[in-house]
Amino acid sequence: MPTKQAPTRQAITLKGSTNLVTEFFKYAANTILFQRGVYPADDFHMVKKYGQTVLVTQDLALENYLDKILKQVNKWLLTGSVTQLVLAIISKDSRTSLERWVFDVNLVEQPSGQSEPAPAKPEAEIQAEIRNILKQIVSTVTFLPVIDEPTVFNILAYTSESADVPADEWVDTDPLAIEAGKSQQVKLRSFSTDVHRIEAMVAYRYDG
Amino acid sequence: MSYLPKTPATRHRSRSEAKTPLTPSLAAGLNSLSLVTPSKGDVSLANPFVASRPSSPIKRTTSGTIQVSESLHRQASIGVIRKGGVESRLDVVTRDYIPPKSEKRSKSQPSRDTRDRFITTRDSADEVAATLDLMSLNPQSASPGHTARLAAATGVPLNRRVLSYHEPPPPSASDPLLAQAREYARPLYARPGALPTSTSTATAGSKGRKIATQPERVLDAPGMVDDFYLNLVTWSCLNVVGVALAENTYLWRADTGEVVQMGEAPDGSYISSVDFSNDGQFLGVGIGTGAVELWDAETQTKLRTMSGHSSQVACLSWYQHILTSGCADGSIWHHDVRVARHKVGEMIGHQGEVCGLKWRSDGELLASGGNDNVVNVWDGRVGDVAPGTRSAARWTKRNHTAAVKAVAWCPWQPSLLASGGGTSDATVHIWNTTTGARLHSLPTPSQVTSIQWSPHRKEFLTTHGYPTNALMVHAYPSMERVAEIRDAHDSRVLWSAIGPAGDVVVTGAGDENLKFWRIWDVPKVRKGKESKDSGRTGSTKSDILRIR
Repeated sequence: MPTKQAPTRQAITLKGSTNLVTEFFKYAANTILFQRGVYPADDFHMVKKYGQTVLVTQDLALENYLDKILKQVNKWLLTGSVTQLVLAIISKDSRTSLERWVFDVNLVEQPSGQSEPAPAKPEAEIQAEIRNILKQIVSTVTFLPVIDEPTVFNILAYTSESADVPADEWVDTDPLAIEAGKSQQVKLRSFSTDVHRIEAMVAYRYDG
Repeated sequence: MSYLPKTPATRHRSRSEAKTPLTPSLAAGLNSLSLVTPSKGDVSLANPFVASRPSSPIKRTTSGTIQVSESLHRQASIGVIRKGGVESRLDVVTRDYIPPKSEKRSKSQPSRDTRDRFITTRDSADEVAATLDLMSLNPQSASPGHTARLAAATGVPLNRRVLSYHEPPPPSASDPLLAQAREYARPLYARPGALPTSTSTATAGSKGRKIATQPERVLDAPGMVDDFYLNLVTWSCLNVVGVALAENTYLWRADTGEVVQMGEAPDGSYISSVDFSNDGQFLGVGIGTGAVELWDAETQTKLRTMSGHSSQVACLSWYQHILTSGCADGSIWHHDVRVARHKVGEMIGHQGEVCGLKWRSDGELLASGGNDNVVNVWDGRVGDVAPGTRSAARWTKRNHTAAVKAVAWCPWQPSLLASGGGTSDATVHIWNTTTGARLHSLPTPSQVTSIQWSPHRKEFLTTHGYPTNALMVHAYPSMERVAEIRDAHDSRVLWSAIGPAGDVVVTGAGDENLKFWRIWDVPKVRKGKESKDSGRTGSTKSDILRIR
């Protein structure tokens, strides 16, 4: 838990790490929305990021929407109260969830009683890990079922009970889970900063 | 029990039937004991029945739980064995002491709690949170395993909240031009087999009706000629399907499933068209040589041969005693089957082969479609007027750009005529034959081989050739697609006929199969009315209201 960490180190890196993680979520969400066809492909434009091109939405409404969510996620990350972020893709007509992209947020345990902090992970290494996740998201298209119906998405944040929740902005909700018998899960790569470790996973509906 | 608020004891007594109830004094004594005893948390575990109770959160909130279990324990230690009797008796007593009866009774009668014990109701987020709160804050109240199972069942992890932003994400922008472009590109991504069923069920579902995408019955039709211009399937009002397979005619009685061979075409020829007369007694058979034969469907005997056409008779249509034939040379003849000089009329209007021919049910008009891409509507009256006056078509329509095989009169609006063009046209036009106006046009993905109007619904069915080989149901007048059954046959669907009840359509194709599709339902209007009326004889109120 964050309180266990050495305060001096946390003050410097937690914020940086949080921003890094938040940024990753932004690009991951954009990539998923593009790859899974939740929004039409021509709403996206190419941006150089993490040493590769990433497709990012141009739709102002969507941009603002994601920004608002990520701003709050950023706050939660800072307090360490968010444990999981889920991007659920839901059928527009039947409202059944088709895919759940799950990002587990873990805090890296600092070895206690050690005055000398571990050497900082180089930025380049983190970026390479992020790049690998994004590439993996793109490659999942090969095995995920083809969605040929209109879909919408929703972002869920799993927070601890004690988390500060802005009153009428965030509401408790259904986890939009896929029935266990019809769900297939694929674990994706993970990446870690000095503070956070993000593990990605995709669960999708697959009726035998 | 809520309807017996004053006599709750009856139920308890029935529960502990054949048991001597404790004396009131003993019960009172027990109760006082229970009030005095300090509570121990683990006491209730002595009784598994009671122990399971506090797991339900709403019951935990009531104050009396510990009391009951405590007093029960007391009784157990005293030596009272009959659990049910004691418990119920106890409840009766406790109720006397504590005023909020409903709260108390919910304890002894779990059925009064409307919520399911295992599925948390999601009336509001607060309530879910409250439930979880109780579960997590009081782990000793229920076994940890139960709590874990409950958490797993509800999908809500303990000590966690699942939050989402209060606004839904913005809908994807809809630029009409882009949307159209996407629509065109969509088939490129379609997987064969998967899309048709999903689209058909989705569209049919949105209409609140599901049309089976599988045929109800498949009959083998060996030797069926794969020729667009022929008309080889007919279905009579006596529920007999007539089908021509090369040079043989077969009858299939839909009621019994019996198959009868009717007859054969003369040597070296083939059957090019069949049509049942309106009463279903006679079958007209067009032969490749140009002869038109008349068969008795009952006795399967040939009654007469009416020759005269110079080449293949590809379509036939009956109106009463008039059998009208369309010939490959473009002429249409009326044959009066009763008289020896059978040819009573000739209409020359087509340059190409006549491949679609339909009488309107009242015999006023006759529609014909030809290989010259023309739809003609003829005055159907055959009478003693000077020859030549009837030879000109009333309307001639040249909108189609391919052979017009599919022509169909609307059964519920006599002036409506639907016609569908071949491969390079693939369009259905709906005409008002009174005014001659073209009312609607519907482009389809592939050649239109036949059209059937539903007698009961404002819908019509079209059958199609390559590449979709589909059956499509369209709504009228919106022309919306109600359903599409793609790849209904392995090759192009060439012929269709509707059953006398108006619910099943038979289709024939070059893949030598006859398939029966239940497309529409027969409305049970009359039956429903009768039962309603008989049901309403007792209730005068609704009758009065109806009269008003």
